[in-house]
Amino acid sequence: MIRTVSRAVTLDSLMPYLGAVALIIAGSFFFPQVLSVDYLTQQLQIAAFLGLLATGATIVILLGHIDLSVPWVLTGAAILSTAMVGTGNPVLSVLAVPAALAFGALIGLINGMGVAILRIPSMVWTLAVNSMLLGLAVLNTGGFNPRGESSPLMVAMASGDVLGLPLSFLIWIAVCVGLTWVLVRTPFGRYLRSIGFNEKATFLSGVSTPSVVFAAFAIAGMCSALGGVMLAGYANQAYQSMGDPFLLPTIAAVVIGGTSILGGRGGLFGTIGGALFITLLTSILSVMQIGDAWRNIIFGAIILAMLLFQTLRKGAAQ
Amino acid sequence: MTNLKPPLLEMQGISMHFGATKALDKVDFVCKAGEVHAILGENGAGKSTLMKLIAGVLQPTDGMIRVDGEKVSLSSPKAALRHGLVCMFQELSLVPDLTVRENLLLGARDAGLGWLQGKGLDAAQQTLARIGGEDIAQGARVADLTLPQRQQVEIAKAIMKKPRLLILDEATSALSASVVEKVFDLIREERDNGTAVLFISHRFHEIEALADRISVFRNGRRVETFAKGAHDYGAIIDMMVGQKIEELFPPKPPSDPEAEIVLHVEGLNWEDRVKSVNLTVRRGQIIGLGGLDGQGQGAFMMGLFGLLRKTQGTTALAGAPAAITGPKAAKQSELGLAYIPEDRKTEGLILDQSIEENLELAALGRKDLDAGDPSLYAGSLEQLALKHGGLNLPVSSLSGGNQQKVVLAKWLALNPRCLLLADPTRGIDVKTKTQIYNILRKLADQGASVILLSTDYEELIQLCDETHVFFDGQIVASLSGDDLTPQNIIAAALNVSPSGGTAHA
Repeated sequence: MIRTVSRAVTLDSLMPYLGAVALIIAGSFFFPQVLSVDYLTQQLQIAAFLGLLATGATIVILLGHIDLSVPWVLTGAAILSTAMVGTGNPVLSVLAVPAALAFGALIGLINGMGVAILRIPSMVWTLAVNSMLLGLAVLNTGGFNPRGESSPLMVAMASGDVLGLPLSFLIWIAVCVGLTWVLVRTPFGRYLRSIGFNEKATFLSGVSTPSVVFAAFAIAGMCSALGGVMLAGYANQAYQSMGDPFLLPTIAAVVIGGTSILGGRGGLFGTIGGALFITLLTSILSVMQIGDAWRNIIFGAIILAMLLFQTLRKGAAQ
Repeated sequence: MTNLKPPLLEMQGISMHFGATKALDKVDFVCKAGEVHAILGENGAGKSTLMKLIAGVLQPTDGMIRVDGEKVSLSSPKAALRHGLVCMFQELSLVPDLTVRENLLLGARDAGLGWLQGKGLDAAQQTLARIGGEDIAQGARVADLTLPQRQQVEIAKAIMKKPRLLILDEATSALSASVVEKVFDLIREERDNGTAVLFISHRFHEIEALADRISVFRNGRRVETFAKGAHDYGAIIDMMVGQKIEELFPPKPPSDPEAEIVLHVEGLNWEDRVKSVNLTVRRGQIIGLGGLDGQGQGAFMMGLFGLLRKTQGTTALAGAPAAITGPKAAKQSELGLAYIPEDRKTEGLILDQSIEENLELAALGRKDLDAGDPSLYAGSLEQLALKHGGLNLPVSSLSGGNQQKVVLAKWLALNPRCLLLADPTRGIDVKTKTQIYNILRKLADQGASVILLSTDYEELIQLCDETHVFFDGQIVASLSGDDLTPQNIIAAALNVSPSGGTAHA
């Protein structure tokens, strides 16, 4: 267990946590209520949505690929689950969440097929898949917001709490703990990082690299779908383009968490910090009531500063 | 000598420390214009570090560098280039996704922002043609070239920079004998025009052919500098490692012609690169595969490991027909194959991962082995005398020879029935070579079979029980016993009979 923790927690991955603490302290000078328990637990609850997406993205980025189909896997899962609940059929209601996860896994497998078998760069393939999912959703709903509603389970997953902690946050952390165990303690985790560093050498070592790619994209798809289900539970509905604002923050959270965009290096502990950091940054910038334009500029500048800091620190360490 | 002109390059009291390790320790070194100066030494002797200092890649911890008598600071490769110091590195430095032309333009003189007059490119094309690369298309992607072709481009790229001092670090390691000869002609011409050449090679006959003076390095110090011919091979090797050349190869035991057949290949075909190749490998044999570059021996070996699609022919392992669908199938105990690829940096190892993680990667997929058990590797690591500062350090922290030991140990952990090696000693120092030869012979004695593809005919003769020479996708000669001579191997590689004329149709 100690070995697992020490391998998962690196100095890189601690940086976003320090950044998050700095944000809270800085924010509290302008708005003392930032330090309140209510505000902070609410941030944990919201961070879970971005966090789950970033968890899946971390797996794919460790592999040395990228998944740009996150927005519409999320939206698709949300539409599917709320539509199933909306039929009023109790069986379909119960199956809503599993069906959404299966949908995410299926899209993940399609992504994996393009990357592992057809050898198309993931950046292009997953973007195309994202676009096709968008088209399918529009065909299905006629371009209007889909009808349907969230099941009590979905609402609880998004908004419930246990012992004062948001359930969404606990689900996110549970997923991260489980996947970290997989990454650190199983051959699959080792293969994933090895492929991220050098796919050819990994294949020549007798590793079935396509199956690793399939599994990684399937996990990522399920994470996106879970995020979609919970977001639908939070809003009590699904709506077109609900995933679009999440794509770039998702990737930013992974990279700020110290995972190399080139693959191989990094882990989920840092991504949790990255998601918390970005959620806090967004929230504090919005309570500061700055105009949209400046908010975007400051958001981008702070993300760049974090990345620059990580890069310079690595350069100094070498 | 009353030549008052200061030497082209003079280094005084140069030290280079990486943390606690002293890669170079108070080295004095002089290189004059118009000489080919060979640098000899084991891996880790400090040769490559010295070259990196001259090329401006590293800056010395201590000491002074003079060019034409003027003290200079070589703070970057660009600064070194300004003084005419050009290095062709052992690690191939071409950008794989760019074309040959684009790579030649990178860093060329007068190129500015990558713009170059057509004249310069013509010169590059001529240079390439002169060293046997006339069929390398300027528009070809470097990633699609073979390793020898990439080395040829690398040489042309270095020559294009019009160096006053040219460093060739294992520049010819992947090239076949005929191409090497052309490269040497070019180097001699450069030398006669006043260029100084620093030449690093582990092949003695190349140094014999090319060098004017020789400097021997050991443990970060320069042992001696002398004119070629002042010492014989034996004395030079003594200087490098304190080992005699006869001790390089283990003694060859008499092979048993009746031993059990481990691998039998019949009529292997692949596209038009491998043509009807038959091969029988018995228990305890070391089989050599020779020939010029790209004559199908490499493809044949990849085919054996299941790396080629749509091969035709049958393969039997230990008497049973075997379907080798890929590396994962090949490494299972039923087949028991292991493959040490040609390029250890990109195919054999994951440089960013630790030694430990690299060792475990092949054993991980075997249900019958516990990859996390250090005793799987301990034996071969000890036998190969792996020098390391801790198994949790990245494998990139090791020298080239030690990296190759990790690749070997990783596969030996699987206790393979048949070991396939693609030129495993390329660019490796004498001492490590000896250790690899010894472990291969020992494996054979213990009942494994070894197939060794090599560009070094000393290996094919001294180490192998039987050597098959490839030409144009076919085996044109199978040599063993007294037939196993350099003359026969070279003649077969060129597809002529030793007395002249074409041997096979």
